[in-house]
Amino acid sequence: MALLCEDQELLEGFLTETAELLEKLDDDLVALEKMPEEMDLLNGIFRSIHTVKGASSFLGFDLLVKITHKTEDVLNRLRKDELKVTPETMDVILEAVDHIKLLVNDIRNGEIVERELDEIINKLIPYISDTFRESTVLPMETTRADDSSGNGTHPPVKTCEAPESTSPAQEPRTAETVASPEPSAPKPAQAKTAPPRGEELSDNTTVRIDVKRLDDLMNQVGEIVLERNRVLQMNIDYQSRENIVTFGEEFSKLAKRIDFVTSELQMQVLKIRMIPVEKVFKKFPRIVRNLSRDLGKEVNLEIIGEETELDRSVVDEIGDPLIHLIRNALDHGVESPEERVAAGKPRSGNVVLSATHEGNNIIISIRDDGKGIDPDKLAKKALDKGLVTEEQLAGMSGKEILDLVFLPGFSTKEKATDVSGRGVGMDVVKTNIRKLNGIIEIRSEVGKGSEFILKLPLTLAIIQSLLVDVENEVYSIPLAAVLETLKVETSSFHQVGGQEVLKLRDSVLPLLRLQKLFGVKESESSVEQSYVVIIGVAEKRIGLIVSRLLGQQEVAIKSLGKYLAKAPGIAGSTIMGDGRVALIVDPAGIIDMEESGSMGTWAA
Amino acid sequence: MATAATIKAEESQAELIQLVSFNLDREEYGVYVLKVREIIRMSNVTRVPNTPYYVEGVINLRGKVIPIISLRKKFSLSDKDHDKQTRIIVMDVDGELMGFIVDAVSEVIRVAAGEIQPPPAVVNGGVEQEYLSGVINRADRLLVLLDLERVFSQSERESLISSTL
Repeated sequence: MALLCEDQELLEGFLTETAELLEKLDDDLVALEKMPEEMDLLNGIFRSIHTVKGASSFLGFDLLVKITHKTEDVLNRLRKDELKVTPETMDVILEAVDHIKLLVNDIRNGEIVERELDEIINKLIPYISDTFRESTVLPMETTRADDSSGNGTHPPVKTCEAPESTSPAQEPRTAETVASPEPSAPKPAQAKTAPPRGEELSDNTTVRIDVKRLDDLMNQVGEIVLERNRVLQMNIDYQSRENIVTFGEEFSKLAKRIDFVTSELQMQVLKIRMIPVEKVFKKFPRIVRNLSRDLGKEVNLEIIGEETELDRSVVDEIGDPLIHLIRNALDHGVESPEERVAAGKPRSGNVVLSATHEGNNIIISIRDDGKGIDPDKLAKKALDKGLVTEEQLAGMSGKEILDLVFLPGFSTKEKATDVSGRGVGMDVVKTNIRKLNGIIEIRSEVGKGSEFILKLPLTLAIIQSLLVDVENEVYSIPLAAVLETLKVETSSFHQVGGQEVLKLRDSVLPLLRLQKLFGVKESESSVEQSYVVIIGVAEKRIGLIVSRLLGQQEVAIKSLGKYLAKAPGIAGSTIMGDGRVALIVDPAGIIDMEESGSMGTWAA
Repeated sequence: MATAATIKAEESQAELIQLVSFNLDREEYGVYVLKVREIIRMSNVTRVPNTPYYVEGVINLRGKVIPIISLRKKFSLSDKDHDKQTRIIVMDVDGELMGFIVDAVSEVIRVAAGEIQPPPAVVNGGVEQEYLSGVINRADRLLVLLDLERVFSQSERESLISSTL
């Protein structure tokens, strides 16, 4: 195992490559199940496993070799058409892949645990030999039942006294192969030699960048160096009073060029941080497959636009909310095949996961053609749980009723299932989306299906913002949250129960004076007209009254430091062209403040 | 005969400590020079809403946004307009940079550790006990040694950090 210590680079290479191969594998396997005759796909899968096997045997990871070898055997038989692609076969292969992942993770964590692989190998073996397959059909069935009742994605591996070990006894040929794996003595030693690596190798800490992008970046840097030299030269000239006449003109040209080059540079750097949303999406075919089997539903998952790119910080954050929404779509949305047939729909339901760009946002939608959300049922539920009062309900529009699902403590399923409704409800999804300055919207039609639409900013480091003036203080509002701006006569504001509102088309919009919220000194002059910036966060809308709109600007977000980070209603700050600091308004925070009704507790 | 222990104690008594001294109202204060990052002139402070009264706001310190505390407000002294003498002392407070507005910065002085006396039980001027780490009594001046890391009481620090909602 000396190799491990000496050749970290080799090990890192192995881990990166294996992780990539395995990530893709899940997706491919699920695809293969749907299109068993796709030879290319099968060959690709075979090659991946083969590569992992080769590399791990080179590095001496015996356990990994053993399991990949057996998996490869099964795949090889599929390839030779000696075995048919069936859900049962796929179950076993997927399980084997899970074990492989587990082992690779162990290696990554630097702690090689002695894992019991006999159980899974026993499951694979029947598929390797023809004669044996028939006789083990029964034990196989029980095994599968056991696993699905356990935890889906990570099957229990510790239990070594596998009840299915009856199978080797029946067939001497396999008993041999099973017996051999046991002596794996070198592993504990291995655990010691591999240094603890912690998180350094976890997927998102290292980046693979397209060489072309790196070259582009270098070009941009080259240009900016040129411009810098130009600035230095101009400064020298200016000091020595040369070319004084043309200085102004030259300088303005230079300013334009620097502006252009830096924004290009900024784009390039942002692009490097961008990764395709596929990274998150490719987990879903597997999840959907497992879930639909567990739930006894037939579901087709269609993925559109997985090549859409967004900032890695956003990619890291949207995984969990999306899994939750997908689970919801399968559990609550899509009906069982019988119900679907009875409703005159095709047996299998469709779930469409799509991603598209829209300006500086990415729109992710999860749409199912299930039973939709019944507003009446929803309203009743909220009432029963004491989340709303009858009066409140009476005044709600259809959309507002749908938004009730976001209330903490709401779950429409009577009984919490393994799949969804475990208390981590939609409010968690909403909180996560809000954290990203995103908006979430529900569309639903009873009997036809429902759709959850997420609108997220592409990046969190630099944002487009709307600069506004509040009684001579400048604030920046993230454009992602701005829905529209209006210029209105102050006379058209109305008071409803002490709350200022604005009639906007067919709805009534609650208003908030930023001047009051932020305790800005009011100027004497009475204003007849003011501007209203309508912001939306998740499903909430609110109008902010400001004195003037100053324009749109791209700003880099700076933290306020740990002492002021939690200032209510403020998300951070940015430095303006003149060197002053402008505060960035936190739309989610403001809406929270508005809801809780408490604001400015510190106002002196 | 002095024992080894007392010699050592005497040595540490003689150890020189460097302090930055500054003025606030009529008093003179000192802070450890090692905690001071820089001293800058007053610049444009952006007010941060809904923060404690003594938080003046934030400034841009070469691309970094740092909070600014008014020591006058913190010490409940009467307000005074900023003038040419007004300075911001940028200090390292618990690993974060923070600026403190003072009336004027005078000098860096050296004092022997032995010169620092424990703070008297009651100090006039309203400065609370907690962040007084001592006083230096010289013939012509009285210097109050401040520990600005503790300028916020525990509860204040929590409320500064945690949301005020």
